[in-house]
Amino acid sequence: MITVSDLVVSYPRAARNAVNGVSFVAASGTLTALAGPNGSGKSSIVRALLGRADVVRGSVAVAGSDVRELSLPELARRVAVVPQREEAAFPTQVREYVALGRYPHLGLWRAATRADDTAVSDALDQAGVSELAARDTDALSGGEWQRVRIARALAQKAPALVLDEPTTFLDVAHEMAIFELLSSLARSGLAVLLVSHQLNLVARFADTIVLLNEGKIATSGTPRSVMKADRLESIYGWPVVITHDPAVGAPALVPLRRPVTL
Amino acid sequence: MLVAGIPLRGVSVLLLSHRSACIALALAVSACSDSRAPSLEASDDFGDPVRIGSPPTRIVSLNPATTEILFTLGAGSRLVGRTKYDSWPDSAKLIPPLGDGIQPNVEAVLASHPDLVILYASQDNRPAAARLRAAGVNTLSLKVDHISDFRRTVLLLGAMLRDSVRAKTVIDSVYRTLDSVRTATAKLTRPSVFWHIWDAPVITIGAGSFMNELVDIAGGKNVYADIAGPSAQVSLEDISHRNPDFILAGPIGKTQIQSDSRWRIVRAVRDNKIFVVDTLLVARPSVRLGEAAVSLANLLHPGTLR
Amino acid sequence: MTHFRGWYWLLLVAALFAIAALAVARGAVSVPLAAVFEALRGRGDPTVVAIVRDLRLPRVILGALVGAGLGGSGAALQGSLRNPLAEPYLLGVSGGAAVGAVIVFALGFSADFVVTLAAFAGSMAAVLVALAVSRVGARGARADLRTLLIAGVIVGAFANAAIMVALASAEPNAIRGALFWMMGSAADANWQRVGWLALSIFFAGGALIYWAREIDVLSLGEETAASLGVNAERSGRRVFLIAALLAAATVAAAGLVGFVGLVVPHIARRMGLRAHRPLILAAALIGGALVVAADLAARTVAPPTELPLGAITALLGVPFFLVQLRRAA
Repeated sequence: MITVSDLVVSYPRAARNAVNGVSFVAASGTLTALAGPNGSGKSSIVRALLGRADVVRGSVAVAGSDVRELSLPELARRVAVVPQREEAAFPTQVREYVALGRYPHLGLWRAATRADDTAVSDALDQAGVSELAARDTDALSGGEWQRVRIARALAQKAPALVLDEPTTFLDVAHEMAIFELLSSLARSGLAVLLVSHQLNLVARFADTIVLLNEGKIATSGTPRSVMKADRLESIYGWPVVITHDPAVGAPALVPLRRPVTL
Repeated sequence: MLVAGIPLRGVSVLLLSHRSACIALALAVSACSDSRAPSLEASDDFGDPVRIGSPPTRIVSLNPATTEILFTLGAGSRLVGRTKYDSWPDSAKLIPPLGDGIQPNVEAVLASHPDLVILYASQDNRPAAARLRAAGVNTLSLKVDHISDFRRTVLLLGAMLRDSVRAKTVIDSVYRTLDSVRTATAKLTRPSVFWHIWDAPVITIGAGSFMNELVDIAGGKNVYADIAGPSAQVSLEDISHRNPDFILAGPIGKTQIQSDSRWRIVRAVRDNKIFVVDTLLVARPSVRLGEAAVSLANLLHPGTLR
Repeated sequence: MTHFRGWYWLLLVAALFAIAALAVARGAVSVPLAAVFEALRGRGDPTVVAIVRDLRLPRVILGALVGAGLGGSGAALQGSLRNPLAEPYLLGVSGGAAVGAVIVFALGFSADFVVTLAAFAGSMAAVLVALAVSRVGARGARADLRTLLIAGVIVGAFANAAIMVALASAEPNAIRGALFWMMGSAADANWQRVGWLALSIFFAGGALIYWAREIDVLSLGEETAASLGVNAERSGRRVFLIAALLAAATVAAAGLVGFVGLVVPHIARRMGLRAHRPLILAAALIGGALVVAADLAARTVAPPTELPLGAITALLGVPFFLVQLRRAA
């Protein structure tokens, strides 16, 4: 659904390419995770998707169309993106905020129809924030705000959903809730592409992990095949062990403590 | 009677004029105490002391009024500098202009090596006065706003030039003309007058200006005589409210008034009762005050004078 | 949170008309309301008719238009620049206009339309320079909207220097005229100015209303805007230019009337408005009423002198920033 082909992205005045020939597919009905150390190029791929980075070579395609050939509103109808950070300058009502997700369909002048209102309500339900609909956006907790943002993306009713680090600053309960939500969205048919450095959660929920390192794909595949201690150690530069707890049902990464040199 | 070259009769006449009593006293004291080179000591309008020995020979006059007075007192040849606005009499134009009278270019003034600088005593000029004094130049700051200021300025300058007789003559002549105009218009009905000085914003004269006195002498009444200061910024509506009979303005001012439709709220504009005044003549409290009063009276009460 | 009710619109419109009616009736010459209506029709004492029709009416309408333009411009800018302290004058508009006007004064021209034209040209030139400067400071072709604000400050600083140079060598009367112009005044209102300003507000204000929903999206941030299909740089620049044009038109008509563009959008937001289409409209109504009231105060507080309009509106800044301080604390 989202196809990245041999993508090379560079920033002006940078020493090396941020993304150096990356190819993968985030298929519909799956939860694909982009993981890797800081600076490995994860967010740059999202920016390239939005047309906000300099693509030197290669392409990003959504449902078969190169994003550079689509107008921004067209693109917004095909893929909904939840960026890493978002701070609204002025507080607004949650419902009004989520309703802005209909903008790619409504444009400057079209009035909201019943279908639009339904899309908004559905989005609020799916994200589990219906009871917050009348609240102000500056009266929300971190986790609530994150879910409201996801609701806004869901209101776009796009077949693909991209999220950049959606669970930073969230506690365990909220993190799990969001990952459950993303998993169920993938199962309902969306192509969900998730950028996260939370390897353990990703390993439990993602169908595919694309592990990046220094702009290239180090490895990709199912969580079980990707989570190998020696490979992760060399990528992250830190000693780790991989554990398999039957209660968890997925491999988990546990970092070891380095001996302290005196 | 002469004492060491100073006409004491001039001094005794000075003693009679109440306003200049302090100057006269100082003169008398110094004249009697030093028979060789009597000096003039006075305080100027900034409160600074001025001490002038022999009559100055290189005078910079940074005020149109004092320039005119100096020429009338026969001291035009002693002038080495004036403001760029001083243009009467014609020979004044031969004196090198040194720039503005307000916040003057002190360096240009010093470069002409004056032994006396006359400034207009506005607050803006305090720094310039201080700098000139610090450079050792005799600086006289005078506030020449009222007709009485004109009188004492002439007396002071005359005393400085050791020609108080001429000074008195000049004053008498001007005052005679003023008195005759005043008498001629005393019994006539006084039209109310608005004097347009500037257009953006609209500025007019108040009771603190000699121009107000001129209007009074010429048999008119300034609609803004209730303002204490020399000038004030006023609104069109207020002028309309005060409803002057006549408007006095310079030639540019009259054009501005007539080309702006909003002035039509003033009845005098609608009735075209705008008189043009010669700003060079009437805008300075100087030796031509008499002429100025006459010209105003001819505007306000045509045919009354002679 | 306050909820904006439908009848608030009636309230805003009624307030504007009430203040305007009061402003036409009051002044150095007090005209009872009945006489005002007569005078509008051309009947009654010719002085009163002239005062009402040639002086007060254009002045009040000019004041309302200036307030509307500034309020709408401020609302659009605060949303698109995502900054509650943004205001129309921060973009080089005020500095550029002042440079244009001061140069004209210093050169000795005082013809009405020359100053207006120079002020407008100066402010648009400054805005375009600010845009160019912001592109230089940005990464490649992407102009960070925040650098627009900084670029505006740079242009403003340069304009201040230019004004000082021009005034230093000007005649005292030219200085007085220039300063008075800079302090803002609706006193020079005539029907031509009203006409030009009304035209500018119609087009520029109309354009802002047209793109108002885009401003809603812009106010969410550049990446979120992109994910909703809005090119933040292009759209932001467009709003910036139109808002600057609107502000420049008001400055050309009435000099610098500060704080209106800053404070009025906050008042509109306090009334419960969020979406920019109604927000800009409400800010226009509130701004209009505010400037007319300020002009009335300028005319009647210290007769016979007229205070500068900018001085009265600057007083607005004090309670506004006090409220902001309390909120931040």
